[in-house]
Amino acid sequence: MSAITLIVRDELRLMRRNRVAVIAFALLVLLTLAAALISWSHQSGIAETRARFQAQAAEAFEAQPDRHPHRMVHFGNFIFRPLPPLAAFDPGVDAFTGNSIFLEGHRQNSANFGDVRQSSLLVRFGQLTPAFVLQVIAPLLLIFLGYGAVARERERGTLRQMLVQGVSARALVMGKLLALAVVAALVGLPALIAFLLIAGQPGALAGPMAVIALGYGAYLALWSIIVILVSALVRRGRDALLALLALWAVLVILLPRVAPDIAAQAHGLPTRLETDIAIQQDLHRLGDAHNPDDPFFNAFKQKMLRRYGVDKVEDLPVNYNGLLAVEGEKLTSGLFDAYADRSFAIQQAQSRLTDGFGIISPAISLRQLSMAAAGTDLAGHRRFLAQAEAYRYAMVQHLNQLQADAVSYADDKAKDAGADQRKRISADHWQAIPQFRFIAPTAGDLVTASLPGLGLLLAWLALALLALLPVARHLQKARP
Amino acid sequence: MTLLTHELRLLLRSRMALLALLLVALLAIASVAAGMAEVARQRAVIARIQPKQAQDIAAVAQWAGKTQDPGNAAYYSFHAAWDAPAPLAFVALGLRDVAPYILRVRALGLEAQLYDGEAFNPELALPGRFDFAFVLVYLAPLFVIALFHDLVSGERESGRLRMLDALAGSGRRLWARRVLLRGGLLLLALAVPLAIGATLSHVPLLPLLAVLGLVALYLAFWIGVTLLVGRLRWSSVTNAATLAGLWLLLTLLLPTIAHVAINRAIPVGQGVELTLAQREAVNRAWDIPREQTMRAFYAGHPEWKDSPPLGHAFHWKWYFAFHQVGDESVAPKANAYRHGIEARDAAARSVGWLLPSVGVQALLARLADTDMQAQFAYQDRIRAFHARLRNHYYAYLFTDKPFGQADFEGAPRFDDM
Repeated sequence: MSAITLIVRDELRLMRRNRVAVIAFALLVLLTLAAALISWSHQSGIAETRARFQAQAAEAFEAQPDRHPHRMVHFGNFIFRPLPPLAAFDPGVDAFTGNSIFLEGHRQNSANFGDVRQSSLLVRFGQLTPAFVLQVIAPLLLIFLGYGAVARERERGTLRQMLVQGVSARALVMGKLLALAVVAALVGLPALIAFLLIAGQPGALAGPMAVIALGYGAYLALWSIIVILVSALVRRGRDALLALLALWAVLVILLPRVAPDIAAQAHGLPTRLETDIAIQQDLHRLGDAHNPDDPFFNAFKQKMLRRYGVDKVEDLPVNYNGLLAVEGEKLTSGLFDAYADRSFAIQQAQSRLTDGFGIISPAISLRQLSMAAAGTDLAGHRRFLAQAEAYRYAMVQHLNQLQADAVSYADDKAKDAGADQRKRISADHWQAIPQFRFIAPTAGDLVTASLPGLGLLLAWLALALLALLPVARHLQKARP
Repeated sequence: MTLLTHELRLLLRSRMALLALLLVALLAIASVAAGMAEVARQRAVIARIQPKQAQDIAAVAQWAGKTQDPGNAAYYSFHAAWDAPAPLAFVALGLRDVAPYILRVRALGLEAQLYDGEAFNPELALPGRFDFAFVLVYLAPLFVIALFHDLVSGERESGRLRMLDALAGSGRRLWARRVLLRGGLLLLALAVPLAIGATLSHVPLLPLLAVLGLVALYLAFWIGVTLLVGRLRWSSVTNAATLAGLWLLLTLLLPTIAHVAINRAIPVGQGVELTLAQREAVNRAWDIPREQTMRAFYAGHPEWKDSPPLGHAFHWKWYFAFHQVGDESVAPKANAYRHGIEARDAAARSVGWLLPSVGVQALLARLADTDMQAQFAYQDRIRAFHARLRNHYYAYLFTDKPFGQADFEGAPRFDDM
């Protein structure tokens, strides 16, 4: 045991003496802290802007004067996606999804005004967040600090000396690994501090945070092992460095880009235009509101007349136009949901295919885990869209019901000079409509969503640990 | 010449050099193929929507044509606008994966339609696309580093440097030969797949030459950096580590920091603000005297002011007038929003003068017509198209001319633009 401790101490002392290594390490720590600060202030800025707009939109909605309820269906409402607290650590797809939706009757609008369409091309170079630093840059530092750990001893001939003196290759490898793991832990420390700051925020959940801490810990440990493995296998230090840089470029930079391209080609998404047209066609098939003899709407009329025991729509105790609006919205919304489900299923298949590349690239697995636990992945966006649609439907149907109950059919049909005033109902009705409240996912939901990535990462870690044994044995043979 | 072939043989005998060159060629081929596949897919989508769009219009024409009411025709007809990829788009896909290249508009308020997004999976867009620009900007420098970092130090470390220096006719010319050879092969590995892709995509010669020149310049920059670091007479390992650090700084770190700085320095009056204001302006029309809206409309569009006055009943011309007045009332906001984004884009391009990675990416996207400027040009075309749509329907609405089924044929088409 003491042999390992000695090796660890010796290796760390060597790193401390290496001025370049110390500077690189210090820079990375600074970078993580800067990223955390920038990300933090960026996120709170976004949160503040969205809260302000949300308040402004709600105020505008409630300030609308007495109106015909259908006018309010078209005036609609704006809602904004609040950022989950962990978005300050990993904002995920936030910059790419729009963050506001206009909710109105008859239509399901897209989420608009994502950062990516309001920023310069630089947004495509990646964003400086703690997650980015740990996923992309921290492994690079471990490579620079550790590529020579074993290769150096071999090149200088000290490896043979140590083996002759009775230090086992296994102890040597373990010692070098532990020294690098200490560095990795120090690299992760500033991010952990940033993380603890976030924990003080309301709404931050312990479970997902633990998964993220575990995931990033496993990732850095994995890179430490990979570095030591390559350093032990390759004959010269320079070759170890080049091999590790190539590995890093492929696993962290290349594969995360190639995988989505393959996924996009494998599962094509229909455009909004096609979806809109298809919904129109389906609606036309179900019932044509513009055709006075349409069987669907005639049957609906008969049903309503029977329900109230009258012969003419004029005799109904409620406004038939309002009933029609309720029925029409039910039809269209059912189709919206069906098509949204279909589009989301394709996107999910794309994402699953991409995540599958985590089998060869741990960086992809970590990204999946990180975004899922932070609630900033595709599923998080979908959660917002689904809740927005539910809110839209409830609001529109409430207004349609108001048309049925509070506006008389005769007034609704009237076209005389005073008709416009008689059709209006009190503005109190709008003020009574509750505001949109985003229901955040539970800790359990987030943790479950992040398990595939975590599983793959841990499998990688176990595999890498196992690979240490034959490599140590191989080193042992270097003894003459 | 024999000297050069000799050097070539020497270079290719090194397994790593051969591997690196083959890998560059492979990556270039793959990226060109991926880019071309994506562009072909986008073209296919644009072709695919045309019959569907015609079908949709025919369905509207069937019932709305019977009513003879131009208001119905204008309200229910959606018209497609699209942005076909330029021949060079496969080189740099730019914004085309996140900004819609197909949009459906109708003659109502444009500001509420112009910023609509396309359905796309944000998780796929997040890491960026795998195109030639990516291979050039991010990966090519790594290969330059791999091939050049030990150009001199490698000879020194293997003890041949003194001998090489001592040889007659050697010296500068030897190194120049080696640099040109390695650089030339690297350029070929990138340029040949690109040129083949460009020929297949019918790219005119001049833009292709511009892209090739850019590739050569970018490679020259990194080779220059590598040689400069090499002059410091460090060991090969230190060279490689220093260069990888520089690469990290120039292609990953500084651009992300610049992004934060630019978005900080140039706040963009959020598009949301614009949309909220537009909605307010449009919906207010229901609560003010209709004549007030018509006066505002006729003031800007005197060509329709002789239209008969409104009666008590609803008239579509008033409906379309208040949509247009709504658009016009937020025009300053729309301009400010656009200028804000343009200022950010311009700032990023000036950063390109300092950071070659950003500069090359920006220039490639410009040449490929896939950048923010191309987006705005597309928006301008949509605006012009929308103006023609409005005029087309107004000619019926404001003269109470019946709009029959045959009149649907006469609507402006985006491809006439």
